[in-house]
Amino acid sequence: MLYGRPGWKRLCLPLAVAAFFFHFVSLTEMLIAAHRWAPMDMREVQSLLAISVCAIFLLIVAFYRTVSFGIFALPMALLLSLEPAFGLEQGSIASPMARSGWLFVHISTILAAYAALFFSLLASLLYLAQERRLKQKSKIGFLTWLPPLDTMDQIASLLLLAGFPCMTVGLLAGSLIAQQSMGAAYFLDPKILLSFGMWVLYLLVLCVQRSSGMRGRRAVYLSSFAVLVALSVWAANEFSSVHRFTRL
Amino acid sequence: MKICLTGVNHKTASIDLRERLAISPAHLAEATRSLLKIAGVREALVLSTCNRVELLTCQEQDAAPIETFLHDRFGIDPAVLRPHLYEYWEEEAVRHLFRVASSLDSMVIGEPQILGQVKESYLAARSVGAVRTQLDRLLQRTFTVAKRVRSETRIGSSSVSIASVAVELAQKIFGSLESKTVFLIGAGQMSELAARHLVEQGAGTVFVANRTHERAERLAAQFGGSAIRFEDLYATADQADIIITSTGAPDAIFRKEHAQRFLQGRRGRPMFFIDIALPRDVDPEVNRLDGIFLYDIDDLQSVAAAHLAERGKEAESGDAMIDEEVEQYRRRMHSLQIVPEIMRLQGVVDEIRHGEVQRMESRLEARGEALSPAQQAAVEALARGLSNKLLHHPLKAIKAAARAGDAAAVEAIREALGLNLTGRYGFGDPAHPDAPAGQAQAQPGSEVEPGFQTETGFQTETGSEDWESPSCDPGESSAADGLEDEFPPSPPAPKDHPR
Repeated sequence: MLYGRPGWKRLCLPLAVAAFFFHFVSLTEMLIAAHRWAPMDMREVQSLLAISVCAIFLLIVAFYRTVSFGIFALPMALLLSLEPAFGLEQGSIASPMARSGWLFVHISTILAAYAALFFSLLASLLYLAQERRLKQKSKIGFLTWLPPLDTMDQIASLLLLAGFPCMTVGLLAGSLIAQQSMGAAYFLDPKILLSFGMWVLYLLVLCVQRSSGMRGRRAVYLSSFAVLVALSVWAANEFSSVHRFTRL
Repeated sequence: MKICLTGVNHKTASIDLRERLAISPAHLAEATRSLLKIAGVREALVLSTCNRVELLTCQEQDAAPIETFLHDRFGIDPAVLRPHLYEYWEEEAVRHLFRVASSLDSMVIGEPQILGQVKESYLAARSVGAVRTQLDRLLQRTFTVAKRVRSETRIGSSSVSIASVAVELAQKIFGSLESKTVFLIGAGQMSELAARHLVEQGAGTVFVANRTHERAERLAAQFGGSAIRFEDLYATADQADIIITSTGAPDAIFRKEHAQRFLQGRRGRPMFFIDIALPRDVDPEVNRLDGIFLYDIDDLQSVAAAHLAERGKEAESGDAMIDEEVEQYRRRMHSLQIVPEIMRLQGVVDEIRHGEVQRMESRLEARGEALSPAQQAAVEALARGLSNKLLHHPLKAIKAAARAGDAAAVEAIREALGLNLTGRYGFGDPAHPDAPAGQAQAQPGSEVEPGFQTETGFQTETGSEDWESPSCDPGESSAADGLEDEFPPSPPAPKDHPR
């Protein structure tokens, strides 16, 4: 309801830009002080993810002139930043690999891909809500802030597409590191197998969407499925014996 | 001087009466000039729209009744007019004006035209010099309040007409309407209006189909579009993003199978059907298809009604803002009322200081102990500093009391400062009623004998009165500062002002 108040838009966007800037400076300073570029523990990874979420939100604002995504993205970025600040130390990578440039590429591209997928999912869900609202001719006031259908369709498709090269580069960089440090055994880990399975599925979804020109509700269901699989692969880190980097 | 607002509006008078009282924009200036001719009216403004005719005046207590203007101008019997007239004075007039300009008093709450109409009246009144100080301040404030209400509430955020609801829905589907294609099927007035709104919002191509092809061609020419033969309707429809139908066909002309075919042709790109025909031209089942959105006349009307109800709720927030603004305005007016008196007091203080310094210098000169320029400057600075210090707190207190509208406190301070007195060093010298006391009585070189008891009641050991204009202190602002700043001075009235 507050979103509809013009004053809030004027206030929130500059605050989000300032928060992004200060968080970025803080994280960069912290990494420079540690003489490395790659995030070493869960806190730093979460911080980097928060920055990625915020950056994609600001890009959406710049290109599509819609701030609606901020309702979800900004609280998420805030929690991702706050939780490590108050949470317990969760261990860090002690391996000399930590200073490898490939690790930085692996982590940053994977995080960018997940941030893009998160927004793609968000856009898909908002699309479904807006479509339902328009179909049912609903006059519910609290959903008037939803962006136009076409905008959400474009955002969902574009981010799904943009996430793919990031995910590919991330997986390739990860594989390279694993090959050097652990050899072929690494590729038998369930988490790693799931990751490659997810990548194949991701590719298939993109191909189907592109070839059939699928749009609307069905396209949203399909891309949402791919995104949910990708996010569950992220969560599957707990099942991995070798990818749990905090125990390396 | 009092502010008065009198008039009729859509709540108090029928359209017949409003029609008789209406003043066209071309005659606003002349009507304002006539209003200004009423005895006792100092400033005036005439607002005339389709829903109201209102006369805003700043007038003396004993001014002739404003309604005489309406009787004289329109020849309407006062007995007929009086039951429909309302009259507001002072704060109530300000409140009403704020509500009108903010569109809270409009027939359709939140409609944006009224602010432009008030501005038009203001410009007309200014062009004949009918708006100068008090009304100028009030109207400037009115524009600020109206903008605040519009930007801080949502009274104008949703559409309330059928055509604008259609545009809003199209924007909810397509985002920008640029390069979107509109297909007008049937040439009813309402569909034409909806198409016009869509084109104004950037819709690109317009197709028109009508059973009478010539009529379709005429309409298409208006929009710079193309006329389509009715038999080519189905072959062309899939090119349209928005279809507005208003034919008199007894059965639906678009059914589910047609819509499915259109979607295939469009590779799933959405379509928006606006069906304003009765009986309906589009089968309601079409709305079930993924990518098709169908709104009929009832749907559009119910959306418009819901938006109107929402505006009503927002108007409550707007009224709360206006209460706040009226209170602020009242305080500012009270503050401003004291400014002329403070200015005159500054004049008195300047004169006394100047006289006392000169008297002391001439005495010293007579004794052959003339002051050097540096000493003169030091004495001047001392006199100035003392008077500033002495006046600072009383002036601050009187301004605060005036702002708070505390008449008793203002009166007590005026009494203490001698602002109520007349004659030498007091106010309102009968010989110069309009001039500041200091200016009216300044006599360079005049002397005041030691021990002279001025009417202000301030006396020092040297017999001088340490009055000083606070504005002379480099670190101190003028007494009037901070009051006038809130209301920038009005530009000078045109030279051909009738008064």
